[in-house]
This record gives sequence, C-alpha cells and structure tokens, in this order.
Amino acid sequence: MSNSNFIEFSKPFIEAAKNVFETMVFTKLEPGKPQVKKDSTSCGDVSAVLGLSGVVSKNGEDKNYRAMLVMSFPYETYLKVAGAMLMEEYTEFNEEIRDVGGEITNMIMGNAKRELGGMGYTSNMAIPSIIEGKSHTIKYPNSSTVILIPIKCAHGEMFIEICYAEED
Amino acid sequence: MALKANMKILVIDDMATMRKIIKNMLGQIGFTNITEADDGATGLPMIEDAAKTDEPYEFIVSDWNMPQMTGLDLLKHLRATDEFKALPFLMITAEAEQGNVVIAVKAGVSNFIVKPFSAQVLKEKIDKIFNK
Repeated sequence: MSNSNFIEFSKPFIEAAKNVFETMVFTKLEPGKPQVKKDSTSCGDVSAVLGLSGVVSKNGEDKNYRAMLVMSFPYETYLKVAGAMLMEEYTEFNEEIRDVGGEITNMIMGNAKRELGGMGYTSNMAIPSIIEGKSHTIKYPNSSTVILIPIKCAHGEMFIEICYAEED
Repeated sequence: MALKANMKILVIDDMATMRKIIKNMLGQIGFTNITEADDGATGLPMIEDAAKTDEPYEFIVSDWNMPQMTGLDLLKHLRATDEFKALPFLMITAEAEQGNVVIAVKAGVSNFIVKPFSAQVLKEKIDKIFNK
C-alpha cells in the first residue's frame, strides 16, 4: 500500500471547498494545519460522507485507488451554514436541512474531480450519505490513511477529512 | 427585466437543498412562477401535462445526476418530440468535466451551468438562452 500521492491528491479538495463555500455559503474558509487522524470518531455532530474510486496513472503505471471525503460539522456550524445557503434561519437539525451537507460534498467532489482528472486520476463518485449524532463513528476503507483538516469560517468551525488508499 | 416575471419555470433536482437554492436565486432574479420536481421521471409527466393546458412550462432548469431519470435522459426525451424540441433547457451539474459539456450540447441543451454558481451567473445564463 502506497500513499505517496496523498498530498497531491488532497489539494484539489481544499481548493474546491473554498470555492463552494465562497459561492454558495457566502463565507471564506481558513484551513488549519492538516493532521493524521488516528480514530474513527467524528469531530462534528453532522458528517457528510462521499466515496470515490478510480484509477491513478503515474509514470506509465496504473493503480486502483479508493478515497473518501468527509465534512463534519458541529450542530451550531451546520445550522448556520444551512441557513446561509438556504436563506432561512434554523434552530435545530431537521429533515429539511439533512441533505445540505451532502450537496456541499457533492459540489466539492465534482469540482475536485476535474482537477484530479488533469493530474491523472479517473474517478467515479458515489452518492453522499449523512451521519448525525454526537461522536458518531465513521467507517473508513480498510488500511487507508485519514487526513484531518480543521477549518474556520464566519459560521464557526468544521472539519474536512480526506481518506486515500492505493491498492498494490 | 426583459423576460416576463411570471414565465412558468420547472426546477428539477433530487436534492431538496439544491431545489430551494435554485428557487431562491430565480426569485432574486425576479421570477415568480416556479414549480419543482424531484427527478426527471416526475418532471417529464408534469411538462407533458402542462403542455395540454394553456399554461405550459416555458423554461426547464434541471440537475444532471438524478437516480431514476437523469437530466440528460429527460433532455433527450424532450428533444425527440416536435412539441419540446425548442423548450429552453438549462442543465446543472456538479461535475465540471469538459466531456459533459459536449454530451449535453450534442443532446440539444440550451445552456449549461456548473455548481457552485451564484445568482448572477444563473441570470447571465438565462439571459443568453432567451436573447439568442
């Protein structure tokens, strides 16, 4: 298992996230220092999870890879982000705003996909899912490395996780 | 606004969030007569039924990726009929790949918009469609 392409792979997601939040949530993101995540407990209360798989072609060699994008929000941030996107005020998590996180990850992944294509990655997106509740568990693909990037914005803090693994 | 505010618009997206965002933006631009559908499969009969009345849909704004009938399949379906051959159709997609644009243009899309987008960009696309 090689994760040597991890850093290169994760950059388009951060750029795409900045673009999506500026355009649709009307706020600028300030990404903090990336760190390796060692457990599978969520950092936020609402997590949007989106899987990605494909083939990476580097130096004439093709390798299958699997990846995952997670955006995890404390309730307070999630309500404010949903409110800004939908131009409403929300005081509690409900069905109406359940797919906000999914739509955000969908847009980020869609944007990142173009950049990744230029870098030699083909990619197939899965359908986003939402996990909600204090300290929930996120199931990452086996033997993958998870990078956690804390993010600050005017609506509060949130966390982007990018998980990537190449198959030998 | 050169376009009439009560132009009948159908917004089709499987994500309620996106439908609401698009409706809000269309409202900001000045449109007032907007209905929604949650899939191409539910949108198509709405378009066909409305065409039999004196208030047909005049503009379709549709997502590309939907579980039952995609926006592309809906577009192809509409373009295959004389009745909807020229119905203005704006396709929305999360995937910014160049190949998608070519596929949609070949299928007869009126214009194309990649998420994320602002109300201003949406307005510019609509202006282009109707001021050709």
